[in-house]
Amino acid sequence: MSETGYPWPIETTRLANGMRVVVSEDRSAPVVAVNLWYDVGSRHEPDGQTGFAHLFEHLMFEGSVNVPKTEHMRLVQGNGGSLNATTNPDRTNYFETMPAEHLELALWLEADRMGGLVPALVQETLDNQRDVVKNERRQRYENVPYGDAWLRLLPLLYPVGHPYHHPTIGSMEDLNAAELATFQAFHRSYYVPDNAVLTVAGDAAPAEVFALAAKYFGGLPAGGARPPAPTGSLADWAGPVSSVVAAEVPAPRVYLAHRTYPYGTTEYDAVTVLATVLGQGRGSRLYRLLADGARLAQPDSVSAYGVDLAYAPAPLIASATARPGVTAARLGAALAEVVDELVSGGVTEQELARAQALLETDWWTAVASVDGRADLLSRYSTLFGDPALVGSRLPGWRAVTTADLAEVAREVLRPEDRVTLVYEPMEAVA
Amino acid sequence: MTQLIAQRPEPGTPRPYRFPAVVRREVAGGSVVAADLPGQNLAVASLLLDAGGGRETIGTEGVAEVLAKALEEGTATRSAADYAVALESLGTDLSLSVDWDSFAATVQVPVGALPAAVELLAEAVRRPKLDPADVERVRDDEAESLRLYWANPGPRADAVLRADLFGAEVRHGRPLSGDPRTVAALSADDVIGFHRSWFMAPGTLLVAGDLSRIDLDALGRSAFAGATESSPVVGEPFPAGGRATRRIVLVDRPGSVQSTLRLGHTAPHRSHPDYVPMTLGAIVLGGAFTSRLNHLLREVRGYTYGIRSEYGLSRRFGRFVTSAGVQTAVTAPALVDAVGEIARTQAEGVTEPELAVARDWRAGQLSVGLQTPRAYASALATLVVHDLPDDYHARLRESLLGATVDEVSAATAAHLNADGITLVIEGDAAAIRSDLEATGLGEVVVAAV
Repeated sequence: MSETGYPWPIETTRLANGMRVVVSEDRSAPVVAVNLWYDVGSRHEPDGQTGFAHLFEHLMFEGSVNVPKTEHMRLVQGNGGSLNATTNPDRTNYFETMPAEHLELALWLEADRMGGLVPALVQETLDNQRDVVKNERRQRYENVPYGDAWLRLLPLLYPVGHPYHHPTIGSMEDLNAAELATFQAFHRSYYVPDNAVLTVAGDAAPAEVFALAAKYFGGLPAGGARPPAPTGSLADWAGPVSSVVAAEVPAPRVYLAHRTYPYGTTEYDAVTVLATVLGQGRGSRLYRLLADGARLAQPDSVSAYGVDLAYAPAPLIASATARPGVTAARLGAALAEVVDELVSGGVTEQELARAQALLETDWWTAVASVDGRADLLSRYSTLFGDPALVGSRLPGWRAVTTADLAEVAREVLRPEDRVTLVYEPMEAVA
Repeated sequence: MTQLIAQRPEPGTPRPYRFPAVVRREVAGGSVVAADLPGQNLAVASLLLDAGGGRETIGTEGVAEVLAKALEEGTATRSAADYAVALESLGTDLSLSVDWDSFAATVQVPVGALPAAVELLAEAVRRPKLDPADVERVRDDEAESLRLYWANPGPRADAVLRADLFGAEVRHGRPLSGDPRTVAALSADDVIGFHRSWFMAPGTLLVAGDLSRIDLDALGRSAFAGATESSPVVGEPFPAGGRATRRIVLVDRPGSVQSTLRLGHTAPHRSHPDYVPMTLGAIVLGGAFTSRLNHLLREVRGYTYGIRSEYGLSRRFGRFVTSAGVQTAVTAPALVDAVGEIARTQAEGVTEPELAVARDWRAGQLSVGLQTPRAYASALATLVVHDLPDDYHARLRESLLGATVDEVSAATAAHLNADGITLVIEGDAAAIRSDLEATGLGEVVVAAV
């Protein structure tokens, strides 16, 4: 068994303009992953600008000084690559995986949109991508049963003014009000080399990557002072809180959520293991007690997971959908009982071993591809200042004991700190 | 002062594309097909049986899926709960999948745990308990699960399209997993009978991992123990057929903020000689981000978060489908644009710059997409299901890179059918029906689902 969760080399440098560069060489496939994390997410958005970090992510694909509109996608896919980007409360990432001979192309494209987006950004592009994002919101959150659960949970978990209070997709109202000048200013503040980490993993040597990074990114000036990231307090939060929604859903569903610890702490490692004990697989508590045992929940509907956020206590969410004839109240009470039992009765050694084995496979799956590795290295550089800490996550999960689980369960699963979200089918309420 | 490099860099020297050596073994009456991934910590094993949806009879559609769920309800020697804990304590679930051509049970574990995981896989697949009371409970859960799933946009539209293309009197004219009503009507005997009919052949064990640490013969003996039947014969492809006129089928979803589009027609089966030019044409039309459909409907019009077209091809039949969710208010113009691009591509073919993107993308994806043990196991499954040679992936790369504009344009002309395409729209009928009629694209009918 490997002692570390990251048995590949990691080399780093920092350019004069402050950009951090991480390289993890692996010659086993002729493929290279390029990954950038910008330290800006929806937590940075001020009032009235919700959804802007994500809408901005879309604009980054729409052309820059030397790359005409649509060329970015065409050049990556047309040279055999995969690409995408994601925004979450904590950060925005951009990534492409290419046949190795196109490494330099990927770096050129990333540098051009880091240093040359603003002159190419026009109103027509903003209007078009605003429509695209509004359709993304309709497709993912509005047009599917339970699709807005995350949008409803966040404001229950984090009070007004907290950086995690609003969802990354933003509100239709704020998106409609978005102005070009705001995005130009956004880019100047946050899309600067000293607010970014560039990681290259796969078929490339560190010296070669460092030289190319200096060539393409070295000429970009460091940014000015950035507004400090908003901080939020949970001190005034008073619970428990619950919310019942009557919606076009096919069956009652209940979510229980608790704030835990920030991602990256040893306590959050225990939360990750605890969530796996509770809700992953047919051997989990929720499956055995609610689906198989009491037959209250649909078997394929039970789950529990932590949302890996790093700048405030991250949520642990458990959920289940009712079987026919089971009311939301009955399901909710049973779900709460299973969660409470983690506090009162603890977890067995066998349950712990099962969860750790599943997490071990999850980990090796995440690092099986160069793109998975590149994203993790960018993450650990951005969040914790040291990509090598990536190797500590798996040992952290392995080190968790049943005593640790009992302690975090007592700390974070208190009924008075609980958020409950219930969906009731429209006709059941009418 | 910002200094950007204006000149786009030239590519470096390509490194050779190499699919790992395919290792084949005949063991205990079955076949093991493996890919060697030296140094890989994880390993995947997948038992592939010729027991997919295509083997189900009319009236029992979805029985393979119910059986898949029932396999984990206990074995000859273990209760369901004991089985789950034993398997999950090795670090894996039992991943069960059904498509038209095959049934697959897959485990993925750190390589040292592979023998024990394959032993447990075989225990569930070959020696399940299948107690009738358990099977009926699983069937009820599966019917309810489908009812919940069918509350999403998409499944109803897809069922309507499938029935329109192939006819509900053939198996592939009905949904792969059945629908909530047909699954509820299955009997325990249907499920147990499907196991008896199709799960007693040895099948093929696919293995992807570091073969220096894996005993393939031992895995094969575990996987094939107790298999008694010979492998079933694969039927000939069905005649492809195709409509001569276009029609719009409306599936009502009152209050829907988007319309879900499923535009499709029949297509040849997977082994058709036009496979490469046909699928490259679909990438130009609606596969790549810069494809004609996505460019127009997303990047120019802003009607959608994304639109794509692709061929879904199995051993005995195929279809072409374009899928999107568009804002309700622009349903009709979006449909006109989409049909226009399909018709233009059929009539005019593709251009070299567009084809260059399509062929390099797909060729590059052979290496970019093949990194994990699961991806290699899936590539091995393609070889087995479609009876392809071991050097298939290397040859595929060459034929993708060699495809010409004339070949691809001939394939789009032959295999797209813009005049006979069925346009299924799942959306708010009251809001969009008259607009759809005004497009003149075809007769509008409302589906009863």
